[in-house]
Amino acid sequence: MRRGDGHRGMGLWAVALAVYAFLYLPLLIVVIYSFNDSRLNAEWVGFTWHWYNVLLHDEDILAAAGNSLFIASVSSLTATLLGTMAGIAMHRYPLKALAFMVMTPVAMPEILLGVSLLLFFIQVLNLTLGMLSIILAHITFSIGFVAIVVRTSLAGLDESLFEAARDCGASPWETFRHITFPLILPSVIAGGLMAFTLSIDDFVITFFTAGVGVSTLPLRIYSMIKIAVTPEVNAVSTLLMLLTLALIVLVSRIAPNVLRWKT
Amino acid sequence: MRGLLLFLLLLAGNARAEGVLHIYNWNNYISEETVTRFEAQCACRVMQDYYSDNEEMLAKLAAGASGYDIIVPTGNAMESLIRQKALRPLDKSKLPNLRNINPAYLNTAFDPDNKYSVPYAYTITLIGYNVEKMRELGLPTDTWAVIFEPEYLKKVKGRITVLDSQRELMAAALKYLGYSANDTIEAHWKQARDLIIRAKPYWAAFNASSYIKELTIGDVWLVHGYSNDIFQANLDAQKAGRKFSIASSIPTQGAVLALDSMVLHKTGPRPDLAHRFINFMLDGKNSAELTNLIGSGNPNLDAMRYIKPEIAQNPAIFPDSQHQAKLEMLHDLDRNQRRILSRMWTEIKLR
Amino acid sequence: MSENHTRLTPTARLNRWLKNVACAAKARRQAAKKRSLHGVNEHSEPVANAGLASTAVFRLPVKWLVSGPPFIFLLLFFAAPGIIMVLASFRYPGEFGGLAPVIATDPNTLHGFTLETYRFFFSDLIYTEIFAKSFLVALATTLICLVMAYPLALLIARSPKKSRNLMVLLVILPFASNFLIRIYAWMILLGPQAVLSHLVNGLLGAFGMAPVHLLFSSFAVLVAMVYVHLPFMVLPLYTNLEKHDPALLDAARDLGANAWQRFWCVTFPLSLPGIFSGSTLVFIPVLGMFAIPDILGGTGDMLIGNLIKEQFLGTRDWPFGSTLSIMLTIAVLACVWLAARLGGRRKRHA
Repeated sequence: MRRGDGHRGMGLWAVALAVYAFLYLPLLIVVIYSFNDSRLNAEWVGFTWHWYNVLLHDEDILAAAGNSLFIASVSSLTATLLGTMAGIAMHRYPLKALAFMVMTPVAMPEILLGVSLLLFFIQVLNLTLGMLSIILAHITFSIGFVAIVVRTSLAGLDESLFEAARDCGASPWETFRHITFPLILPSVIAGGLMAFTLSIDDFVITFFTAGVGVSTLPLRIYSMIKIAVTPEVNAVSTLLMLLTLALIVLVSRIAPNVLRWKT
Repeated sequence: MRGLLLFLLLLAGNARAEGVLHIYNWNNYISEETVTRFEAQCACRVMQDYYSDNEEMLAKLAAGASGYDIIVPTGNAMESLIRQKALRPLDKSKLPNLRNINPAYLNTAFDPDNKYSVPYAYTITLIGYNVEKMRELGLPTDTWAVIFEPEYLKKVKGRITVLDSQRELMAAALKYLGYSANDTIEAHWKQARDLIIRAKPYWAAFNASSYIKELTIGDVWLVHGYSNDIFQANLDAQKAGRKFSIASSIPTQGAVLALDSMVLHKTGPRPDLAHRFINFMLDGKNSAELTNLIGSGNPNLDAMRYIKPEIAQNPAIFPDSQHQAKLEMLHDLDRNQRRILSRMWTEIKLR
Repeated sequence: MSENHTRLTPTARLNRWLKNVACAAKARRQAAKKRSLHGVNEHSEPVANAGLASTAVFRLPVKWLVSGPPFIFLLLFFAAPGIIMVLASFRYPGEFGGLAPVIATDPNTLHGFTLETYRFFFSDLIYTEIFAKSFLVALATTLICLVMAYPLALLIARSPKKSRNLMVLLVILPFASNFLIRIYAWMILLGPQAVLSHLVNGLLGAFGMAPVHLLFSSFAVLVAMVYVHLPFMVLPLYTNLEKHDPALLDAARDLGANAWQRFWCVTFPLSLPGIFSGSTLVFIPVLGMFAIPDILGGTGDMLIGNLIKEQFLGTRDWPFGSTLSIMLTIAVLACVWLAARLGGRRKRHA
């Protein structure tokens, strides 16, 4: 094809494969060690399903998983609604203040949002940290992601569709209901799933807004890693990876464009 | 969708219902069997949340955690809670088993006359070590020097961890220097800080809990840690069939004793259940179960007859009077001292 | 209209279908109005305007209906907490944690506002040092990510269109597993019993050097930082490189430029915007990270994130924690501003 590209192509491939290996090897190890028949999990001893069994009977983990699912459901539904509105508003109107407040939580180090919410919940709302504070915090950081996805999709719509609708006398509400909404629906759903994944996955902000008593899966994993590392951590990690994998596949099916990074 | 949400609500349904006792306790600080037995006796459920550091517990309470009937703080943290007026006075008429407690552990400076607290168990912050390795290297195990002096440290470089706790590490350094663990003179603190910075290059990590595992595997040979954790590490090592044993010893310079007490938090909805639980735990048999399980020190005289002899005779868990006299309990720091200590800690970590 | 139909063939059919739907809908609406349901319609009409340009009359209420709820929510849970944090940094810590009161019942206790925490911050170089250290770690992470991500992004961008999406997905997938798990993976990989440790120490031993500990070290922290943030660098780089016009490279070749020159003089300068946006996406999260030094760090690995966490969940010194957070915010804003400026200028030059 191109002169002299052969060598360079090979070099690129070598580096790229190394990077892919770097990305996947550690996760592979986590999965493999979840079947390790050793409580200490320092070296490979033998194959066992034992840790998955332990996991299924670990009430703390199950409760934490339940909390995570509940928090993710409520916060992603709310964030989808608010985020879609914000996305539409940002697309239609030059609202600098809104755009600032939507984008900043996405770009900021998470710890800053975490500690400022901690202060706010305690000092101003006098709220006992727990389920509610976690949900509110999760909505706050999810709105931005949904809004960005929705706005991107609106920007890609063909204006002539709306002209056509208007020309034949559809009211604005009808246009929204029958044209705009169906067209952006995949992005709205994808944004919602993204918010769900982010919420299930969040550690830092939850860490500061959880108080004690309500634990989520990432918080449990953190304390397991810090205190007693048994292959149960690997088992829970493996299952969680499968779940997020399923969600990603779902997102990519519903809205393939969302996964194509937009800068 | 509503069905799904309802299902999720049920899954997440850990609302504080009736007949539930909420305990905020140290990690791994009560036996599963004891809890089950209490639940059967009171026909209620015990819900536990855990912390691994007093500072963490205080910080979480300061951040609004509430609804706990019982908390098990260490003396200085308890003192702080008492001064905050966060605790409920005990009704001693409901605690007949209180007579089982060794008077030596009653009426401490933190809570005169035990208005608010009942001793639960104690741990000592001491030196834990891999017996075979220490013998092989010919290192002493009864002095803080082995943690702080380069002449010893160079033999165990990278095989030693110390606690990731500002107070505990400073206390060990202060003790080694011959000061009180509660010394707050800044010059002495600086001396301790310099001692720590000099020893730091030899340490593998500041570690709050996973050193148990490192000791068990054999990666780490020497630790500054809690007596019950080191006991746990030895049990695990035996269970895993390792060819070494792990022991602990109280340094001759003295060490920190942490007496953990059961207290009633003001926000707890069930003081009645809480009193029953405390009285239950004061029963010698139940109290001994904890010691047998985790190797914690026991202030309960009636418990001694139920405790396994190898634990009862372990001088690092039940020290003789000579070592006993060298043990100190930590007092709480005020806000300025906390800030200064935090800065020193930052220096220690950074230098 | 007909022009539209012929020009936009892909959407033409949809267009016609929509036309029917919309016209039918209009008829229904008229009927509905006759049945005096216009209260409902009037209510819903403003909302609809969000979707498209609309009559000026409804513009204002629609704007507020659509932007109001998210605006108020974020004002309450993002802007207000920020302001509270700024205020908290000017107060005294409470005796037992939290904040001392602004107005005290007992005049002898500390209360009101103060510059104390800022004075404390600047009283000792140690805090500047920890910021500098965090910046260095963030910079190192960014550079390593860049070096690793660039070849990969370039390869993906130059692969056949069909395989590109799969290759991108392969970059995103590990990034979808919980980041604690990804950190934990390195705990296993770098442990003293793991193959990697034996390999490295065997090699060091062969050269007569003392064995090293991989776990609980600055090395472990850096590896995990890179591992966790690598996709943030690959993706923007790839989006940038994908847009490059191959004709430019052909032109360069025709002018006699070798492969290296083509890269340095064409591809690299054109990819600078991608580099800047990727770098920002890596640099900023690393600045605030506390979990990685917490789990994998050795005796000297404390970053600004750890210090902030300690103030809130250890030392119980909220005002000082707030001060540190504000300093971090300022640092982050400065970085964003710098990146935007650098990126912007490059764009204009290119």
